[in-house]
Amino acid sequence: MGVPMQFSIILQQVVNGLSLGAVYALIAVGFALIFNVLKFSNFAHGGVLGISAYAGYIAANQFKLPLIPVILVGMVTGAILAVLVELIAFRWIRLQKGQLVYFFVTSVTMLMLLEQVLIIRFGASFESYPYTLVKVRVLQFGDVTISVTYLLSLISTIIAFSGLIYVLKKTKIGIAIRAASNDLTATSLMGINVNMVIIAAFIVSGMLGGLSGVLYGISASLSPQIGQIVVKGFIASVLGGLGSLTGVAVAAVVLGVLEVFLISTIGSGLSPVVIFLLMVVFLLVRPHGFAGVSFSDKA
Amino acid sequence: MTFYITVAISIAISSIAVLGTFMLTGMNGLFSLGQAAFMGLGAYATAILVVNYGLPFPLAILIAIALAISLAFFVGYATLRIRQDFFALATFGFGQAMIALLTETVTITGGAMGFSNIPRLTSPALAFISLAIAIFFVWGFRRSHFGKDSLAIRSNELAAEVEGINAFKHKMIVFVISAGFAAYAGALMAFHISYVEPATYGWILSVTWIIIVFFGGRDSLTGTVIGAIILLAAPEALRFTTAWRILVYCVIILLIINLRPRGLFGTWEISLKPFLRFFKSKKQQEAK
Repeated sequence: MGVPMQFSIILQQVVNGLSLGAVYALIAVGFALIFNVLKFSNFAHGGVLGISAYAGYIAANQFKLPLIPVILVGMVTGAILAVLVELIAFRWIRLQKGQLVYFFVTSVTMLMLLEQVLIIRFGASFESYPYTLVKVRVLQFGDVTISVTYLLSLISTIIAFSGLIYVLKKTKIGIAIRAASNDLTATSLMGINVNMVIIAAFIVSGMLGGLSGVLYGISASLSPQIGQIVVKGFIASVLGGLGSLTGVAVAAVVLGVLEVFLISTIGSGLSPVVIFLLMVVFLLVRPHGFAGVSFSDKA
Repeated sequence: MTFYITVAISIAISSIAVLGTFMLTGMNGLFSLGQAAFMGLGAYATAILVVNYGLPFPLAILIAIALAISLAFFVGYATLRIRQDFFALATFGFGQAMIALLTETVTITGGAMGFSNIPRLTSPALAFISLAIAIFFVWGFRRSHFGKDSLAIRSNELAAEVEGINAFKHKMIVFVISAGFAAYAGALMAFHISYVEPATYGWILSVTWIIIVFFGGRDSLTGTVIGAIILLAAPEALRFTTAWRILVYCVIILLIINLRPRGLFGTWEISLKPFLRFFKSKKQQEAK
Protein backbone atom coordinates (compact mmCIF):
# COMPACT_ATOMS: atom_id res chain seq x y z
CA MET A 1 0.00 0.00 0.00
CA GLY A 2 2.74 2.41 1.01
CA VAL A 3 4.82 2.12 -2.13
CA PRO A 4 2.18 3.04 -4.77
CA MET A 5 1.06 5.98 -2.60
CA GLN A 6 4.62 7.29 -2.60
CA PHE A 7 4.84 6.84 -6.33
CA SER A 8 1.64 8.76 -6.98
CA ILE A 9 2.85 11.61 -4.78
CA ILE A 10 6.13 11.75 -6.68
CA LEU A 11 4.28 11.69 -10.01
CA GLN A 12 2.05 14.51 -8.87
CA GLN A 13 5.07 16.56 -7.79
CA VAL A 14 6.68 15.94 -11.17
CA VAL A 15 3.58 17.23 -12.97
CA ASN A 16 3.43 20.27 -10.67
CA GLY A 17 7.12 20.87 -11.24
CA LEU A 18 6.80 20.56 -14.98
CA SER A 19 3.96 23.06 -15.14
CA LEU A 20 5.80 25.56 -12.94
CA GLY A 21 8.87 24.93 -15.09
CA ALA A 22 6.77 25.57 -18.19
CA VAL A 23 5.80 29.04 -16.93
CA TYR A 24 9.43 29.71 -16.00
CA ALA A 25 10.42 28.59 -19.49
CA LEU A 26 8.02 31.12 -21.05
CA ILE A 27 9.48 33.88 -18.89
CA ALA A 28 13.05 32.78 -19.54
CA VAL A 29 12.69 32.52 -23.31
CA GLY A 30 11.07 35.96 -23.53
CA PHE A 31 13.95 37.28 -21.44
CA ALA A 32 16.64 35.47 -23.46
CA LEU A 33 15.22 36.59 -26.80
CA ILE A 34 16.03 40.21 -26.00
CA PHE A 35 19.39 39.20 -24.55
CA ASN A 36 20.28 37.48 -27.81
CA VAL A 37 19.55 40.53 -29.93
CA LEU A 38 20.71 43.39 -27.69
CA LYS A 39 23.08 41.51 -25.31
CA PHE A 40 21.80 42.80 -22.01
CA SER A 41 19.60 41.39 -19.24
CA ASN A 42 16.17 42.91 -19.74
CA PHE A 43 14.66 43.05 -16.27
CA ALA A 44 11.88 45.30 -17.59
CA HIS A 45 10.42 42.06 -18.94
CA GLY A 46 9.14 41.47 -15.41
CA GLY A 47 7.23 44.75 -15.46
CA VAL A 48 5.67 43.86 -18.82
CA LEU A 49 4.70 40.48 -17.42
CA GLY A 50 3.16 42.03 -14.31
CA ILE A 51 1.02 44.63 -16.11
CA SER A 52 -0.19 42.01 -18.61
CA ALA A 53 -1.18 39.70 -15.77
CA TYR A 54 -3.30 42.49 -14.31
CA ALA A 55 -4.74 43.36 -17.73
CA GLY A 56 -5.88 39.75 -18.04
CA TYR A 57 -7.27 39.98 -14.51
CA ILE A 58 -9.34 43.06 -15.40
CA ALA A 59 -10.59 41.37 -18.59
CA ALA A 60 -11.68 38.32 -16.62
CA ASN A 61 -13.03 40.09 -13.57
CA GLN A 62 -14.75 43.20 -14.92
CA PHE A 63 -15.55 42.26 -18.52
CA LYS A 64 -16.26 38.62 -17.67
CA LEU A 65 -14.37 37.34 -20.69
CA PRO A 66 -13.77 33.59 -21.03
CA LEU A 67 -10.34 31.98 -20.79
CA ILE A 68 -8.95 32.27 -24.32
CA PRO A 69 -9.80 35.98 -24.81
CA VAL A 70 -8.29 36.67 -21.38
CA ILE A 71 -5.03 35.06 -22.48
CA LEU A 72 -5.14 37.05 -25.73
CA VAL A 73 -5.70 40.30 -23.82
CA GLY A 74 -2.63 39.48 -21.75
CA MET A 75 -0.52 38.76 -24.81
CA VAL A 76 -1.59 41.90 -26.70
CA THR A 77 -0.96 44.05 -23.63
CA GLY A 78 2.45 42.46 -23.25
CA ALA A 79 3.35 43.14 -26.87
CA ILE A 80 2.27 46.81 -26.74
CA LEU A 81 4.00 47.38 -23.44
CA ALA A 82 7.24 45.73 -24.55
CA VAL A 83 7.38 48.06 -27.56
CA LEU A 84 6.73 51.06 -25.31
CA VAL A 85 9.54 49.97 -23.01
CA GLU A 86 11.85 49.69 -26.00
CA LEU A 87 10.96 53.18 -27.17
CA ILE A 88 11.17 54.81 -23.73
CA ALA A 89 14.09 53.05 -22.12
CA PHE A 90 16.33 51.53 -24.77
CA ARG A 91 16.01 53.18 -28.18
CA TRP A 92 17.56 56.51 -27.25
CA ILE A 93 20.56 54.89 -25.59
CA ARG A 94 21.03 52.62 -28.58
CA LEU A 95 20.97 55.53 -31.02
CA GLN A 96 23.60 57.27 -28.91
CA LYS A 97 25.66 54.06 -29.02
CA GLY A 98 25.66 53.91 -25.23
CA GLN A 99 27.35 51.04 -23.45
CA LEU A 100 25.47 47.89 -22.49
CA VAL A 101 25.53 48.71 -18.79
CA TYR A 102 23.16 51.64 -19.35
CA PHE A 103 20.54 49.27 -20.76
CA PHE A 104 20.78 47.24 -17.58
CA VAL A 105 20.23 50.34 -15.43
CA THR A 106 17.23 51.58 -17.44
CA SER A 107 15.67 48.12 -17.63
CA VAL A 108 15.74 47.71 -13.86
CA THR A 109 14.35 51.23 -13.48
CA MET A 110 11.52 50.32 -15.85
CA LEU A 111 10.78 47.23 -13.74
CA MET A 112 10.48 49.40 -10.62
CA LEU A 113 8.37 51.97 -12.47
CA LEU A 114 5.85 49.45 -13.83
CA GLU A 115 5.65 47.85 -10.39
CA GLN A 116 4.81 51.25 -8.90
CA VAL A 117 2.06 51.74 -11.50
CA LEU A 118 0.46 48.52 -10.23
CA ILE A 119 0.86 49.57 -6.60
CA ILE A 120 -0.79 52.94 -7.33
CA ARG A 121 -3.69 51.31 -9.15
CA PHE A 122 -4.26 48.18 -7.02
CA GLY A 123 -2.61 48.82 -3.66
CA ALA A 124 -0.37 46.27 -2.02
CA SER A 125 -3.09 43.63 -1.65
CA PHE A 126 -3.31 40.23 -3.32
CA GLU A 127 -5.86 39.57 -6.06
CA SER A 128 -6.80 36.37 -7.80
CA TYR A 129 -8.45 35.50 -11.09
CA PRO A 130 -12.17 34.65 -10.80
CA TYR A 131 -12.70 31.06 -9.83
CA THR A 132 -15.09 30.47 -12.73
CA LEU A 133 -12.42 31.15 -15.36
CA VAL A 134 -11.33 27.52 -15.36
CA LYS A 135 -14.50 25.48 -14.89
CA VAL A 136 -13.09 22.07 -13.97
CA ARG A 137 -10.47 22.53 -11.27
CA VAL A 138 -8.93 19.07 -10.97
CA LEU A 139 -8.65 15.88 -12.96
CA GLN A 140 -8.38 12.52 -11.19
CA PHE A 141 -6.18 9.78 -12.64
CA GLY A 142 -6.34 6.98 -10.10
CA ASP A 143 -4.25 8.23 -7.17
CA VAL A 144 -2.91 11.19 -9.09
CA THR A 145 -4.79 14.47 -8.85
CA ILE A 146 -3.79 17.01 -11.45
CA SER A 147 -4.83 20.63 -11.23
CA VAL A 148 -6.33 21.84 -14.51
CA THR A 149 -4.65 25.23 -14.15
CA TYR A 150 -1.30 23.44 -14.09
CA LEU A 151 -2.24 21.43 -17.15
CA LEU A 152 -3.30 24.66 -18.82
CA SER A 153 0.17 26.17 -18.24
CA LEU A 154 1.79 23.08 -19.68
CA ILE A 155 -0.37 22.99 -22.82
CA SER A 156 -0.23 26.76 -23.46
CA THR A 157 3.55 26.66 -23.16
CA ILE A 158 3.81 23.85 -25.68
CA ILE A 159 1.55 25.73 -28.13
CA ALA A 160 3.45 28.99 -27.59
CA PHE A 161 6.82 27.33 -28.18
CA SER A 162 5.59 25.59 -31.32
CA GLY A 163 4.45 28.99 -32.60
CA LEU A 164 7.77 30.56 -31.61
CA ILE A 165 9.80 27.87 -33.37
CA TYR A 166 7.68 28.34 -36.49
CA VAL A 167 8.16 32.11 -36.43
CA LEU A 168 11.90 31.92 -35.80
CA LYS A 169 12.61 29.21 -38.37
CA LYS A 170 10.15 29.85 -41.21
CA THR A 171 9.11 33.49 -41.36
CA LYS A 172 11.24 36.29 -42.76
CA ILE A 173 11.02 38.34 -39.61
CA GLY A 174 12.05 35.33 -37.49
CA ILE A 175 15.08 34.71 -39.67
CA ALA A 176 15.92 38.40 -39.37
CA ILE A 177 15.68 38.15 -35.57
CA ARG A 178 18.04 35.18 -35.58
CA ALA A 179 20.42 37.02 -37.88
CA ALA A 180 20.33 40.02 -35.55
CA SER A 181 21.12 37.73 -32.59
CA ASN A 182 24.20 36.60 -34.42
CA ASP A 183 25.54 40.01 -35.39
CA LEU A 184 23.56 43.23 -35.28
CA THR A 185 25.99 45.25 -37.39
CA ALA A 186 26.30 42.66 -40.13
CA THR A 187 22.51 42.38 -40.25
CA SER A 188 22.15 46.09 -40.83
CA LEU A 189 24.87 45.97 -43.49
CA MET A 190 22.80 43.32 -45.30
CA GLY A 191 20.12 45.96 -45.76
CA ILE A 192 17.80 44.79 -43.01
CA ASN A 193 16.06 47.50 -41.02
CA VAL A 194 17.51 46.71 -37.61
CA ASN A 195 15.07 48.93 -35.74
CA MET A 196 12.15 46.97 -37.17
CA VAL A 197 13.81 43.69 -36.22
CA ILE A 198 14.33 44.89 -32.66
CA ILE A 199 10.70 46.03 -32.43
CA ALA A 200 9.65 42.59 -33.71
CA ALA A 201 11.82 40.89 -31.10
CA PHE A 202 10.21 43.01 -28.40
CA ILE A 203 6.72 42.16 -29.70
CA VAL A 204 7.46 38.43 -29.58
CA SER A 205 9.11 38.73 -26.18
CA GLY A 206 6.19 40.82 -24.88
CA MET A 207 3.66 38.25 -26.08
CA LEU A 208 5.54 35.49 -24.28
CA GLY A 209 5.75 37.71 -21.21
CA GLY A 210 2.03 38.47 -21.30
CA LEU A 211 1.17 34.80 -21.65
CA SER A 212 3.44 33.81 -18.77
CA GLY A 213 1.96 36.60 -16.62
CA VAL A 214 -1.63 35.46 -17.17
CA LEU A 215 -0.74 31.79 -16.64
CA TYR A 216 1.18 32.53 -13.46
CA GLY A 217 -1.68 34.73 -12.26
CA ILE A 218 -4.23 31.98 -12.86
CA SER A 219 -2.25 29.23 -11.15
CA ALA A 220 -0.94 31.36 -8.27
CA SER A 221 -2.14 34.81 -7.21
CA LEU A 222 -1.51 38.41 -8.23
CA SER A 223 0.37 41.04 -6.29
CA PRO A 224 2.13 44.15 -7.62
CA GLN A 225 5.45 42.42 -6.94
CA ILE A 226 4.57 39.71 -9.47
CA GLY A 227 7.07 41.24 -11.89
CA GLN A 228 9.97 40.19 -9.70
CA ILE A 229 9.38 36.64 -10.90
CA VAL A 230 11.49 37.71 -13.86
CA VAL A 231 14.50 36.67 -11.78
CA LYS A 232 13.49 33.04 -12.37
CA GLY A 233 13.85 33.81 -16.06
CA PHE A 234 17.21 35.42 -15.33
CA ILE A 235 18.46 32.37 -13.40
CA ALA A 236 17.27 29.97 -16.08
CA SER A 237 18.70 32.09 -18.89
CA VAL A 238 22.15 32.32 -17.38
CA LEU A 239 22.29 28.67 -16.32
CA GLY A 240 20.96 27.59 -19.70
CA GLY A 241 23.75 29.44 -21.43
CA LEU A 242 22.39 32.76 -22.67
CA GLY A 243 22.13 32.59 -26.40
CA SER A 244 20.71 29.13 -26.76
CA LEU A 245 16.92 29.32 -26.43
CA THR A 246 16.62 25.53 -26.10
CA GLY A 247 19.19 25.46 -23.31
CA VAL A 248 17.32 28.27 -21.57
CA ALA A 249 13.97 26.44 -21.78
CA VAL A 250 15.52 23.22 -20.46
CA ALA A 251 17.16 25.06 -17.57
CA ALA A 252 13.84 26.73 -16.71
CA VAL A 253 11.99 23.40 -16.57
CA VAL A 254 14.77 21.91 -14.43
CA LEU A 255 14.52 24.92 -12.11
CA GLY A 256 10.73 24.52 -11.80
CA VAL A 257 10.92 20.80 -11.00
CA LEU A 258 13.77 21.42 -8.56
CA GLU A 259 11.82 24.16 -6.75
CA VAL A 260 8.69 22.05 -6.36
CA PHE A 261 10.80 19.14 -5.14
CA LEU A 262 12.69 21.30 -2.62
CA ILE A 263 9.50 22.93 -1.33
CA SER A 264 7.92 19.52 -0.71
CA THR A 265 11.01 18.17 1.08
CA ILE A 266 12.68 20.99 3.03
CA GLY A 267 10.02 23.71 2.74
CA SER A 268 9.96 27.00 0.88
CA GLY A 269 11.99 28.83 3.51
CA LEU A 270 15.37 27.22 3.02
CA SER A 271 15.06 26.28 -0.65
CA PRO A 272 16.84 29.49 -1.86
CA VAL A 273 19.89 28.37 0.15
CA VAL A 274 19.98 24.96 -1.54
CA ILE A 275 19.36 26.51 -4.97
CA PHE A 276 22.26 28.90 -4.41
CA LEU A 277 24.63 26.11 -3.39
CA LEU A 278 23.56 23.97 -6.37
CA MET A 279 24.07 26.99 -8.62
CA VAL A 280 27.63 27.51 -7.38
CA VAL A 281 28.44 23.82 -7.84
CA PHE A 282 26.91 23.91 -11.31
CA LEU A 283 28.96 26.95 -12.28
CA LEU A 284 32.14 25.29 -11.06
CA VAL A 285 31.39 22.13 -13.04
CA ARG A 286 29.93 23.68 -16.19
CA PRO A 287 31.15 27.28 -16.35
CA HIS A 288 29.32 27.99 -19.61
CA GLY A 289 25.84 26.76 -18.73
CA PHE A 290 23.86 23.86 -20.14
CA ALA A 291 24.46 24.82 -23.76
CA GLY A 292 27.59 26.83 -23.22
CA VAL A 293 29.88 25.73 -26.00
CA SER A 294 27.69 26.99 -28.81
CA PHE A 295 27.59 30.40 -27.18
CA SER A 296 31.24 30.93 -26.28
CA ASP A 297 32.07 32.14 -29.79
CA LYS A 298 29.44 34.85 -29.52
CA ALA A 299 30.48 36.19 -26.15
CA MET B 1 15.70 69.22 13.93
CA THR B 2 16.40 65.74 15.28
CA PHE B 3 14.39 64.37 12.36
CA TYR B 4 16.76 65.95 9.88
CA ILE B 5 19.78 64.66 11.76
CA THR B 6 18.34 61.14 11.81
CA VAL B 7 17.71 61.28 8.08
CA ALA B 8 21.17 62.73 7.46
CA ILE B 9 22.79 59.90 9.42
CA SER B 10 20.85 57.29 7.46
CA ILE B 11 21.96 58.88 4.20
CA ALA B 12 25.58 59.02 5.34
CA ILE B 13 25.53 55.34 6.30
CA SER B 14 23.88 54.23 3.08
CA SER B 15 26.39 56.31 1.13
CA ILE B 16 29.19 54.14 2.55
CA ALA B 17 27.56 51.07 0.97
CA VAL B 18 27.03 53.01 -2.26
CA LEU B 19 30.77 53.79 -2.29
CA GLY B 20 31.41 50.05 -2.16
CA THR B 21 29.18 49.64 -5.21
CA PHE B 22 31.00 52.55 -6.86
CA MET B 23 34.29 50.64 -6.64
CA LEU B 24 32.79 47.33 -7.71
CA THR B 25 30.28 48.33 -10.40
CA GLY B 26 31.41 51.80 -11.36
CA MET B 27 35.14 51.20 -11.55
CA ASN B 28 35.37 47.46 -12.17
CA GLY B 29 32.16 46.93 -14.13
CA LEU B 30 31.00 44.02 -11.96
CA PHE B 31 27.27 43.88 -11.21
CA SER B 32 26.58 42.48 -7.76
CA LEU B 33 22.91 41.85 -7.06
CA GLY B 34 23.73 40.56 -3.58
CA GLN B 35 25.53 43.61 -2.27
CA ALA B 36 22.66 44.48 0.07
CA ALA B 37 22.87 40.99 1.58
CA PHE B 38 26.36 41.85 2.85
CA MET B 39 24.82 44.90 4.50
CA GLY B 40 22.19 42.65 6.07
CA LEU B 41 24.86 40.25 7.21
CA GLY B 42 26.85 43.06 8.80
CA ALA B 43 23.74 44.41 10.51
CA TYR B 44 22.62 41.07 11.91
CA ALA B 45 26.04 39.78 12.90
CA THR B 46 26.93 42.94 14.82
CA ALA B 47 23.53 43.20 16.46
CA ILE B 48 23.51 39.56 17.59
CA LEU B 49 27.09 39.69 18.86
CA VAL B 50 26.46 42.83 20.89
CA VAL B 51 22.94 42.15 22.19
CA ASN B 52 23.09 38.39 22.77
CA TYR B 53 26.77 37.86 23.52
CA GLY B 54 27.68 41.19 25.07
CA LEU B 55 30.69 41.81 22.84
CA PRO B 56 31.97 45.40 22.59
CA PHE B 57 30.61 47.27 19.54
CA PRO B 58 33.95 47.78 17.69
CA LEU B 59 34.96 44.13 18.08
CA ALA B 60 31.55 42.97 16.84
CA ILE B 61 31.90 45.20 13.79
CA LEU B 62 35.30 43.70 13.01
CA ILE B 63 33.95 40.16 13.28
CA ALA B 64 30.98 41.05 11.04
CA ILE B 65 33.27 42.53 8.40
CA ALA B 66 35.52 39.47 8.53
CA LEU B 67 32.46 37.27 8.04
CA ALA B 68 31.27 39.29 5.05
CA ILE B 69 34.75 39.22 3.51
CA SER B 70 35.08 35.46 3.82
CA LEU B 71 31.64 34.90 2.26
CA ALA B 72 32.48 37.32 -0.54
CA PHE B 73 35.66 35.34 -1.14
CA PHE B 74 33.63 32.13 -1.42
CA VAL B 75 31.15 33.64 -3.92
CA GLY B 76 33.88 35.37 -5.87
CA TYR B 77 36.08 32.30 -6.07
CA ALA B 78 33.35 30.37 -7.86
CA THR B 79 32.35 33.07 -10.33
CA LEU B 80 34.96 35.76 -10.95
CA ARG B 81 36.87 33.67 -13.49
CA ILE B 82 33.88 33.19 -15.79
CA ARG B 83 31.54 35.55 -17.60
CA GLN B 84 30.07 38.53 -15.81
CA ASP B 85 26.47 37.34 -16.07
CA PHE B 86 27.42 34.46 -13.81
CA PHE B 87 28.83 36.83 -11.24
CA ALA B 88 25.56 38.79 -11.26
CA LEU B 89 23.62 35.53 -10.99
CA ALA B 90 25.73 34.06 -8.20
CA THR B 91 25.60 37.24 -6.13
CA PHE B 92 21.85 37.34 -6.67
CA GLY B 93 21.52 33.72 -5.49
CA PHE B 94 23.75 34.53 -2.54
CA GLY B 95 21.51 37.43 -1.56
CA GLN B 96 18.36 35.31 -1.71
CA ALA B 97 20.06 32.53 0.27
CA MET B 98 21.22 35.02 2.90
CA ILE B 99 17.71 36.42 3.35
CA ALA B 100 16.28 32.90 3.56
CA LEU B 101 18.82 31.97 6.24
CA LEU B 102 18.12 35.11 8.26
CA THR B 103 14.37 34.49 8.00
CA GLU B 104 14.55 30.80 8.89
CA THR B 105 16.91 30.87 11.88
CA VAL B 106 14.12 32.31 14.02
CA THR B 107 15.68 31.47 17.38
CA ILE B 108 18.78 33.55 16.65
CA THR B 109 17.58 36.32 14.35
CA GLY B 110 13.90 36.66 15.20
CA GLY B 111 12.93 35.56 11.69
CA ALA B 112 10.72 37.68 9.47
CA MET B 113 9.63 39.75 12.50
CA GLY B 114 13.10 41.22 12.65
CA PHE B 115 15.59 41.77 15.43
CA SER B 116 14.81 44.73 17.65
CA ASN B 117 15.98 46.50 20.80
CA ILE B 118 19.43 47.20 19.44
CA PRO B 119 21.07 50.00 21.45
CA ARG B 120 21.55 53.24 19.49
CA LEU B 121 25.33 53.27 19.55
CA THR B 122 25.86 55.00 16.19
CA SER B 123 26.46 58.63 17.05
CA PRO B 124 26.22 61.33 14.36
CA ALA B 125 29.98 61.85 14.66
CA LEU B 126 30.70 58.16 14.05
CA ALA B 127 28.49 58.09 10.95
CA PHE B 128 29.86 61.26 9.37
CA ILE B 129 33.50 60.50 10.17
CA SER B 130 33.06 56.99 8.76
CA LEU B 131 31.66 58.44 5.55
CA ALA B 132 34.54 60.93 5.33
CA ILE B 133 37.09 58.15 5.77
CA ALA B 134 35.29 56.01 3.21
CA ILE B 135 35.31 58.85 0.67
CA PHE B 136 38.99 59.46 1.36
CA PHE B 137 39.73 55.74 0.91
CA VAL B 138 37.92 55.56 -2.43
CA TRP B 139 39.59 58.79 -3.56
CA GLY B 140 42.99 57.28 -2.81
CA PHE B 141 41.93 54.01 -4.43
CA ARG B 142 41.07 55.79 -7.66
CA ARG B 143 44.35 57.67 -7.78
CA SER B 144 46.42 54.59 -6.98
CA HIS B 145 48.00 52.27 -9.49
CA PHE B 146 45.61 49.59 -8.30
CA GLY B 147 42.62 51.77 -9.14
CA LYS B 148 43.96 52.51 -12.61
CA ASP B 149 44.22 48.75 -13.15
CA SER B 150 40.51 48.56 -12.31
CA LEU B 151 39.66 50.92 -15.13
CA ALA B 152 41.88 48.90 -17.46
CA ILE B 153 40.04 45.70 -16.59
CA ARG B 154 36.69 47.43 -17.03
CA SER B 155 37.42 48.63 -20.53
CA ASN B 156 39.16 45.50 -21.79
CA GLU B 157 39.92 42.55 -19.56
CA LEU B 158 41.97 40.65 -22.11
CA ALA B 159 44.17 43.65 -22.84
CA ALA B 160 44.61 44.25 -19.12
CA GLU B 161 45.75 40.67 -18.60
CA VAL B 162 48.21 41.00 -21.46
CA GLU B 163 49.64 44.02 -19.67
CA GLY B 164 50.36 41.76 -16.71
CA ILE B 165 47.37 42.50 -14.48
CA ASN B 166 46.00 39.45 -12.68
CA ALA B 167 42.33 40.24 -13.38
CA PHE B 168 40.92 37.47 -11.20
CA LYS B 169 42.95 38.47 -8.15
CA HIS B 170 42.22 42.13 -8.80
CA LYS B 171 38.46 41.67 -9.09
CA MET B 172 38.50 39.47 -5.99
CA ILE B 173 40.22 42.15 -3.91
CA VAL B 174 37.77 44.82 -5.06
CA PHE B 175 34.76 42.58 -4.43
CA VAL B 176 35.97 41.72 -0.95
CA ILE B 177 36.58 45.39 -0.12
CA SER B 178 33.13 46.40 -1.37
CA ALA B 179 31.52 43.62 0.69
CA GLY B 180 33.41 44.95 3.71
CA PHE B 181 32.05 48.46 3.02
CA ALA B 182 28.50 47.10 2.82
CA ALA B 183 28.88 45.09 6.02
CA TYR B 184 30.28 48.10 7.88
CA ALA B 185 27.38 50.24 6.67
CA GLY B 186 25.00 47.51 7.83
CA ALA B 187 26.52 47.47 11.31
CA LEU B 188 26.22 51.25 11.64
CA MET B 189 22.66 51.17 10.28
CA ALA B 190 21.51 48.49 12.74
CA PHE B 191 22.80 50.52 15.67
CA HIS B 192 21.27 53.68 14.21
CA ILE B 193 17.67 52.56 13.59
CA SER B 194 17.87 49.94 16.39
CA TYR B 195 15.93 47.41 14.31
CA VAL B 196 16.78 45.04 11.46
CA GLU B 197 14.60 42.80 9.32
CA PRO B 198 15.66 40.47 6.49
CA ALA B 199 13.29 41.72 3.77
CA THR B 200 15.04 45.13 3.64
CA TYR B 201 18.19 43.63 2.16
CA GLY B 202 16.82 42.10 -1.05
CA TRP B 203 18.21 42.46 -4.55
CA ILE B 204 16.16 45.60 -5.20
CA LEU B 205 18.31 47.48 -2.67
CA SER B 206 21.49 46.31 -4.42
CA VAL B 207 20.02 47.51 -7.69
CA THR B 208 19.12 50.86 -6.15
CA TRP B 209 22.80 51.38 -5.25
CA ILE B 210 23.84 50.55 -8.81
CA ILE B 211 21.27 53.05 -10.10
CA ILE B 212 22.65 55.69 -7.75
CA VAL B 213 26.19 55.14 -9.07
CA PHE B 214 25.06 55.51 -12.67
CA PHE B 215 22.84 58.47 -11.82
CA GLY B 216 25.73 60.45 -10.38
CA GLY B 217 28.19 59.21 -12.97
CA ARG B 218 30.29 56.11 -12.63
CA ASP B 219 33.43 57.99 -13.59
CA SER B 220 32.97 60.63 -10.95
CA LEU B 221 33.43 60.12 -7.22
CA THR B 222 31.90 63.54 -6.58
CA GLY B 223 28.95 62.56 -8.75
CA THR B 224 28.43 59.32 -6.86
CA VAL B 225 28.46 61.00 -3.47
CA ILE B 226 26.17 63.85 -4.56
CA GLY B 227 23.96 61.40 -6.47
CA ALA B 228 23.68 59.28 -3.33
CA ILE B 229 22.69 62.30 -1.26
CA ILE B 230 20.12 63.45 -3.86
CA LEU B 231 18.51 60.07 -4.47
CA LEU B 232 18.56 58.93 -0.85
CA ALA B 233 17.10 62.25 0.28
CA ALA B 234 14.55 62.37 -2.57
CA PRO B 235 12.06 60.00 -0.90
CA GLU B 236 12.10 62.25 2.17
CA ALA B 237 11.89 65.46 0.18
CA LEU B 238 9.08 64.41 -2.16
CA ARG B 239 6.45 64.24 0.49
CA PHE B 240 3.47 62.79 -1.32
CA THR B 241 2.41 59.15 -1.09
CA THR B 242 5.17 56.58 -1.25
CA ALA B 243 4.06 54.95 -4.49
CA TRP B 244 3.95 58.23 -6.42
CA ARG B 245 7.31 59.40 -5.18
CA ILE B 246 9.02 56.20 -6.29
CA LEU B 247 7.33 56.65 -9.67
CA VAL B 248 8.71 60.18 -9.94
CA TYR B 249 12.12 58.92 -8.83
CA CYS B 250 12.11 56.30 -11.61
CA VAL B 251 11.12 58.87 -14.24
CA ILE B 252 13.93 61.18 -13.13
CA ILE B 253 16.46 58.34 -13.39
CA LEU B 254 15.22 57.39 -16.86
CA LEU B 255 15.52 61.02 -17.99
CA ILE B 256 19.05 61.36 -16.64
CA ILE B 257 20.31 58.10 -18.19
CA ASN B 258 18.65 58.90 -21.51
CA LEU B 259 19.79 62.50 -21.75
CA ARG B 260 23.14 62.28 -19.97
CA PRO B 261 24.28 58.66 -20.32
CA ARG B 262 27.51 59.31 -18.43
CA GLY B 263 25.55 60.40 -15.38
CA LEU B 264 24.72 63.75 -13.87
CA PHE B 265 28.36 64.70 -13.34
CA GLY B 266 30.09 62.83 -16.16
CA THR B 267 33.76 62.75 -15.31
CA TRP B 268 33.75 66.00 -13.39
CA GLU B 269 35.39 66.00 -9.97
CA ILE B 270 35.32 68.66 -7.33
CA SER B 271 38.80 69.98 -6.71
CA LEU B 272 40.55 72.75 -4.86
CA LYS B 273 42.56 73.89 -7.87
CA PRO B 274 40.10 76.52 -9.19
CA PHE B 275 39.90 78.08 -5.73
CA LEU B 276 43.68 78.13 -5.36
CA ARG B 277 44.05 79.65 -8.83
CA PHE B 278 41.42 82.26 -7.96
CA PHE B 279 43.21 83.30 -4.80
CA LYS B 280 46.57 83.30 -6.56
CA SER B 281 45.33 85.60 -9.31
CA LYS B 282 43.83 87.90 -6.70
CA LYS B 283 47.15 88.09 -4.88
CA GLN B 284 48.93 88.88 -8.13
CA GLN B 285 46.47 91.66 -8.84
CA GLU B 286 47.02 93.07 -5.38
CA ALA B 287 50.77 92.89 -5.89
CA LYS B 288 50.39 94.91 -9.07
